[in-house]
Amino acid sequence: MILKINQRYLQIALNSTLDEAREIIAQLPISERILIEAGTPLIKIYGKRAISEIKSATPAGTYIVADTKCADLALREVKMVAETGAQALTCLGVAPVETIDRFIGECQKNGMDSMVDMMNVEDPVEVLGKLKKPPGIVVLHRGVDETEFSKEKQIPFYQINQIKDNFDTFVSVAGGDTIEEVQRAIFNGADIVVVWKAFYQSTAETAKLAAEFLKEIR
Amino acid sequence: MLDRKQKYLQIAFNRTLEEIVAMINSLPLSGRIIIEAGYPLIKTYGTRAISTIKTLWEQRVLGYSLGTVEAAEMKPFQLYKAGYGSPLLDLLLKSIEKRKIEKPKRKFSEPIKKEIAFTPYIVADLKCMDRAFTEVEAAASAGASAATCLGLAPVETIDAFIKRCEEIGIDSILDMMNIEYPFEVLSKLIKPPTIIMLHRGVDEGEENKEKEVPYQEIERIKNVYDDVLIAVAGGETIREVITGAFNDADILVVWRLFNENPEKITALSNEFLKEVK
Repeated sequence: MILKINQRYLQIALNSTLDEAREIIAQLPISERILIEAGTPLIKIYGKRAISEIKSATPAGTYIVADTKCADLALREVKMVAETGAQALTCLGVAPVETIDRFIGECQKNGMDSMVDMMNVEDPVEVLGKLKKPPGIVVLHRGVDETEFSKEKQIPFYQINQIKDNFDTFVSVAGGDTIEEVQRAIFNGADIVVVWKAFYQSTAETAKLAAEFLKEIR
Repeated sequence: MLDRKQKYLQIAFNRTLEEIVAMINSLPLSGRIIIEAGYPLIKTYGTRAISTIKTLWEQRVLGYSLGTVEAAEMKPFQLYKAGYGSPLLDLLLKSIEKRKIEKPKRKFSEPIKKEIAFTPYIVADLKCMDRAFTEVEAAASAGASAATCLGLAPVETIDAFIKRCEEIGIDSILDMMNIEYPFEVLSKLIKPPTIIMLHRGVDEGEENKEKEVPYQEIERIKNVYDDVLIAVAGGETIREVITGAFNDADILVVWRLFNENPEKITALSNEFLKEVK
């Protein structure tokens, strides 16, 4: 595991354009507690170039997450991302168990952190129980479409401790974008909080917002 | 966009874009071939993979070849894990090798004069899991005729995906990989997609050889949703393709054999097209 135990992290997902991504990165405070994510739409639009360009726009040593949402062909996907210099990538928790197992094993071989995204998984503990070994990071995730079309859907914060009690893994929470939701995730024991909405476009407030979020994540 | 009385062969392309130029140059001109920008290809090149493939196939259909290499000059290539072949496959490849077909030499700049009467159909294998609007719009602007969404995605995403595809005028494909009961997913949707894809994943197929493509679901789905087309993916041998067609699948998706033997793509496509009737 590349990330430090007992440290809390803010993961900023970049999902707009590569130009926006560069502008946002330029405004962020330098902190080893900030992880930068090349979001799924960015990867599907620009390809793996999105990951390597984000990597080169960030200060040396920045932890880069590639949100590839692997669903099959895990070996090829991990190999592709490894070439870009990212430290971690994501696999879907709803993917076939064979894919998730291959994904975790291949990440380990390549010295990368594996993230399993539990979007649309009702019982993450059940999925984790079927794996040969748990991933480095489990991501509890309420999707963007879910949030927009079913406003009553909540992020299952209670699952953070369920997972940590049963498996030796970090837990990340994605899908909440307000300061209150970030506070709740941290209060409930999350190691990483993922935000995107506040950082979709670069504004005069970007640096201030990042500093505010970082203050809450301790 | 697709003819419901017709059966199609969908070839998923997953090599480098440079190699795909040569492969598409060597495809037989048939309106029953669907070209797929594969999922790894899109993650490697982005939407450029879709637009390049679209341009290539369109030019080919119109009678122009791009690039300077033909697939017959390419070397066979083992993708990913070895040992996936079968005696039947080997036999097919050997028989194709024996048939040396004399081809008239032509310059690439010379157009081939043919009467073509079909519109190229390009599938973008996005495997959408969230942000359906953004993904559908990206694929459509790159020129895709259809795009895929995972049946495992939240129901809100699938509904938004199908709706946006319809609004924009492309076909929606719902990929049922890792779904035991497709009906359970379909019954939750506001309306069904244009195409339902029954799919055994590559990792599943390699690790669990006993996992079968669920051919029995084809008729069951068609009995309830008479407007949808059924695609079958994950079967790679001639026998599996015949089984898919026999069980009334409308689209048979192949990739491994074609991507591992690009130099035989013309003969392979002709052989498979013969079986997909």
